[in-house]
Formats: sequence, C-alpha cells, structure tokens
Amino acid sequence: MGLVVTITSGKGGVGKTTATANLGVALARRGQRIACVDADIGLRNLDVVMGLENRIVYDLLDVIEGRAKLRQALIKDKRLPELQLLPAAQKRDKTALTDKQMIKLCDDLRKDFDFILIDSPAGIEGGFKYSVAPADQVLIIATPEVSSVRDADRVIGLVEAQEKPQPRLIINRMRPSMVKRGEMLDTADVLEILSIELIGIVPEDEAIITSTNKGHPVALEDHSPSGAAFTRIAQRMLGEPVPFQVLDDSTGLFNRLSRIFQR
Amino acid sequence: MDTISFKGTREGLLITLGEGAWPDVLKELATQLDRPSAQSFFKGARVILDSGGRPIAVTELEKFIALFAQHDMTLTSVMGEEKTQQALIQMQQGSLPPPPESLTHGKIEEEPPENALQALLIHRTVRSGQIIRHSGTIVVIGDVNPGAEVIAEGDVLVWGKLRGVVHAGASGNDNAMVGALILSPTQLRIGGYIARAPDEKRLNSWPAEIARVRDGQIIVEPWSA
Repeated sequence: MGLVVTITSGKGGVGKTTATANLGVALARRGQRIACVDADIGLRNLDVVMGLENRIVYDLLDVIEGRAKLRQALIKDKRLPELQLLPAAQKRDKTALTDKQMIKLCDDLRKDFDFILIDSPAGIEGGFKYSVAPADQVLIIATPEVSSVRDADRVIGLVEAQEKPQPRLIINRMRPSMVKRGEMLDTADVLEILSIELIGIVPEDEAIITSTNKGHPVALEDHSPSGAAFTRIAQRMLGEPVPFQVLDDSTGLFNRLSRIFQR
Repeated sequence: MDTISFKGTREGLLITLGEGAWPDVLKELATQLDRPSAQSFFKGARVILDSGGRPIAVTELEKFIALFAQHDMTLTSVMGEEKTQQALIQMQQGSLPPPPESLTHGKIEEEPPENALQALLIHRTVRSGQIIRHSGTIVVIGDVNPGAEVIAEGDVLVWGKLRGVVHAGASGNDNAMVGALILSPTQLRIGGYIARAPDEKRLNSWPAEIARVRDGQIIVEPWSA
C-alpha cells in the first residue's frame, strides 16, 4: 500500500510545486513507483514544471467525475517509467472537489504506487483541506523569511488539528552567504519557531529557474546543489540516514554573539 | 460568524445568541461547536445561554439542549425574556437554577479570580492563528508563537517563549499578570492597558520576566518568587 505525502506551505511561491516535482523524480530514480497529484485546480502548473504539459488528455476531475479511468488520466514520464502525473483540471475551481473524493482517489492510487505526492494549493481554504485530508504524512515548505515562517506555523497548527502525524519541514531557498552576514534567518531560527522535525534544506539555486522553464526537474541529474538536496530529502523519506550538510555556516562573529544572547 | 459569541465566565460558558431565525442560529451554533479546534475546548462545559433578549419556545430549547448534549455540554441556565425562563421551567419543572446574579446585571465580575477558577493548562506550542481563551488563569508549557493569541480573564504564565499577543485580566482585571521564560510578545495587554514590544530587538531576555500594571502603566521586571 502506497503512502500519501502532501506538500504544503500556506504561503504561495515558496516552492511547493518545484519540491513535489523534484521529490517525485528523486524517489522514482531510486526505484519507487510515484504518482504526483496536482491538487491546485484552476491554477495547474506541476505539469509544466515536470515537462508533461503537452500530454494531458484527461485530468483529476475527469477521473473523479467518472469521465475517465485513472489509468487514462495518469501521464507516464518518458524519462522515468516509475514516475506518473495526475494533472489538475484547469477550467474549474477548488469548490469542485471534496475531502471525501480526494481520499477515495488516493485510496485508488495507493494500490499501484509506493508514494502519492500531493502538490497542495497555497492558502488554508478548501484546496488546502482536501489536499491534507488523505495524507499519511505532510511536508511543510518554508523559506527563511518571517512571512513564510509565520504562514508555515499557521499551517502546522491546522495539520495538527486534523490529528495527522506531526509534519516535517523543508527549508527552501536558503542562502548561506546571507545567513553568514546575519541578514537571513538561519536553520536554527526557523526551527526555534516551528519546532518540528527538519527533513531537508534546499539552497537557493538559479538552476531551478531554468529547469522550471524547460520542464526538466533538477533532481534528474546530480550536479546541481538543489537537485542533490532534493535527492537527500528523498533518501530521508525512504528512511536512509543522510547527514545534514552544513549549508548555513554560522561561525561568523555576529551569529556567535547573537546565539549567546539568545540563550 | 458574528451572530454567536462565546465568553468564559465564573459560572460557566456564556453563549450569547445574535439575531436571525432560530433554525439559522441553531445551525450556526452547531457549525461553531463542530470546529475541530472548538471540540476539546467546549467539552464538558456548563453553558449559560443568553437568547439575546428574545423568547425561546420549549421546542427550540429542546433542540439547543440536544445540541449541547452532543458535545458533552450541559445547559445550566438561560438568560432572556420572561417567556424563555417560563419555557425552561415548564420543561425542567424548575430543576434549572436562575441565571447567576453577576450575569443578569449584564457584566462579568471584575474582581481577581482568586478562589473559584481553575487554570487551563496548555501543553504544546500555540501556533499562529490559534486563539486560547479561558475564564481563569492560562498556563502554557511550550511556546506562544507570533500570530497566536492567549486571552485569559486571570493570569497568563508561559513556560517557554511568549511571542504572540497576550491579554491577561481580559474582563477588566488590572491586577492580572503575565509571566514568561522569554517575554517578548507582539502586544501585551493587562485589563485595559496595552503595551507593545520595543522596536529594537532585546537580545538578552533572561531570566524569566513578569509584566503587571503599576501606577497606571505596564511594567516588566525579572520574575523572582
């Protein structure tokens, strides 16, 4: 039986879709059967990031409303046979889907896949709710900015209220040089507020922009820093112990001082 | 959302019903009570129902009682028009006591809750968007994050970092206090007084601190027994 993992954040633009695509790729490269589900009905773009846009025939709502079989709607990634995408509907909005329908859909997907990765829409309304409803695990994405951390905190509270296991955290777009200068929240600052388990830190990487535009996820290769970071997160999701890389070198004088005073 | 208000009092949970037809009010109340965050909060509560000055018939009252029963809540008294009271007496054969004196005068008692109230213990992180309200003292073991609110009619004590909005003595008790291991709230209110954190970041906020009202302003000092 497959595991349903929902990727969410509260705030928009922090990298949910990029993370979903890349974790899907990284897990599939390790032989896992992966279904990526785009739950952002009306604003679909996981297909674009994965480079599968031109192959969409049926979408998630077609399956739910019985116009297509699951098998017909799932798009196989040519680069990785283990990876499939269930695209969102573009012409409708999030009121078209209920928690129950999403749970049913995921139960069907569990039979054929090891992981079902749900790319949640931003926000805390209906779209967020039906994305979290079927989840066995929740991954929270936050960037090291106060606004993003605040929203992540809100979302963690909502996930806890659903009596889901405690979500785990991905810190995205970390810039070690800015942390060094004391201009960006570092990992410890973020964890101090959110107090949940960290599953990975992804550095800011220009390669993400080109890869998104090309529909070629960075995790397909190992050479980019962000791709390697997503691969490490995938390994941790599979239970492999992977040590955390020291991204935020916090030996600067300012950091050491501020640490001392924070105690 | 605004048609129904909840307020913790010394006598129990005061639910004031706003305007609207009874079926709508009942439905709205059911929705409010069904919220996952509300369920544990209201469980076991003794309810004082304020009909907002309108009469409630026996049939309506029965529906309210049934709804409360679903949530493990008991209706202890009803405030409203004479007719409402009569309906209640008719139904319960006078087994419900009249509403407490303090409430029928339309305000909550203002003296410090020194004898009657139990403290509410919250043993987790209170996160952004979460609001904790209680008619007595609130003790949090964990952090109160920015964006969270803790509102107590008594004191607020936080064994952790207090960074959200805190209001002690919320019913107008200026003798209430707020204490935390790390006291750096977004905004701190005691009774009718409001203070906010200084704009420059205080780096050294150890040892634990306590805030109270003295000479007409909120002061913060080290917390020593």
